[in-house]
Amino acid sequence: MTKQTFLHDKHIKLGAKMVDFAGWDMPVQYTSIIEEHRTVRQNVGLFDVSHMGELIVHGEDALPFLNKLVPQDISKLINQKAVYCQLTNKNGGIIDDLIIYKLEEQKYLIIANASRIDEDLNWMVRSKRGFEVTIVNESHNYSLLAVQGPRACELIKSLGLEELPAFFFIKRAELFDINLWVSRTGYTGEDGVEILVRNEFSEYLWDKLLDAGKEFGIKPIGLGARDTLRLEAALHLYGNDLDENTTPVEAGLAWSIAKNKTEDYNGRRIIENQLKNGTDKKLIGLKMLDRAIARHGYEVYSNNEKIGVITSGGISPIRGDNIALAYIKNLDNLNVGSTIQVMIRDKLHDAEIIKRPFVAKKNKECKNI
Amino acid sequence: MNESMLCTKTHEYVLEQGDKYEIGITDYAIEQLGDIVFIELPETGSVFSKNEAFATIESVKAASEIYMPISGEVVEVNEELVNSPELLNDTSYENKWLIKIKSSANQVEFADLLDYSDYKEEVE
Repeated sequence: MTKQTFLHDKHIKLGAKMVDFAGWDMPVQYTSIIEEHRTVRQNVGLFDVSHMGELIVHGEDALPFLNKLVPQDISKLINQKAVYCQLTNKNGGIIDDLIIYKLEEQKYLIIANASRIDEDLNWMVRSKRGFEVTIVNESHNYSLLAVQGPRACELIKSLGLEELPAFFFIKRAELFDINLWVSRTGYTGEDGVEILVRNEFSEYLWDKLLDAGKEFGIKPIGLGARDTLRLEAALHLYGNDLDENTTPVEAGLAWSIAKNKTEDYNGRRIIENQLKNGTDKKLIGLKMLDRAIARHGYEVYSNNEKIGVITSGGISPIRGDNIALAYIKNLDNLNVGSTIQVMIRDKLHDAEIIKRPFVAKKNKECKNI
Repeated sequence: MNESMLCTKTHEYVLEQGDKYEIGITDYAIEQLGDIVFIELPETGSVFSKNEAFATIESVKAASEIYMPISGEVVEVNEELVNSPELLNDTSYENKWLIKIKSSANQVEFADLLDYSDYKEEVE
């Protein structure tokens, strides 16, 4: 039985095309993926991402517990600050990628991928022996709405929220007399917020945001555009670009790993060895040199030898070319500027290794208005 | 869509036009695909049997193979669509055929094709 978010009726009424995503019946598009993509890059888009998981970890040992689970240093978090993390196994492989927010002392909120909530919970429960900690799955109580795009913050400010949280911060707020959480995060490469609200208010909030957002050009955005947007921003998708056999170092996420963390964490020995001595495979960004489209699972070649596989690929509506993420053998002669090939329907097509992200991110330098 | 088209269950159509047949995909298929971003068509002179993949159409989300409703030899290819695949989504654009073929298909090949009205009932 596929699950439905509390906004399911809204999507149907808006004429969305629905698809199964991680066991959820979700809108893939309302009008056109390309149009929706442009809306988010030019104005502002509203996403229902209520399928995502919300876990609360609290208790005396919440901090040492989380610090054992991720390579990031949770002790660095001040109240209301968030950090992008990976839940690693003993081999450094990624069980899930998460955002961890420190809500208050000894209380943390974790946003997890819909497809991984059960695995995350299992792993956390199995790891909690010896820690004074409580893990609560709040996923079924909360809806998550993302408001993303260059005009997103303007819109939220116009609703009376004078001071938005700074980049990667969360704050308690009131919008339309509803108590909710607003965080300055997203999955599009644009500035914007994600709003965590109790299910019973989500429909009301959705309607109000669409209504108030009209003058800012707001449109509802489906998961199709969410995927093309995150690919342009070269943000990883769990299950495509990340899995239990891939470490954060291989995934190009070394920047997110704490360098001088005191506590041990799962996979630390392997991860630190890779940081020092390199990895066998590496994540690269590609642009196709012809009109062919590389897709998940296609093989990558160099000098007629198979060297890797595409993990995400598609069109870039903003660049106007076709882009992809791939894992290839970590060979010294294959770097930004090198030409390699992708096997597409039994033919090799040239592709150039290029820098990630494919489209400049706008959220990092966002003004803390 | 033309009422005298014959359709496959995989959403291709064939339409007899004089001594040739026009082959394409149905409006329903286009609607289901969403934004079309890439079309690969065969060269003229290529020969295909019934149910053989002769073209690829890619939407933003995925690549789909297109199959021959009947056997035949390609005599014309819609280059306009190859150059501007998005025209297939344009409701005001009329030349939505992919290829034209010469065919000596017998009645057996036509037996499993659906009349357009039956096809419409099937997909709606």
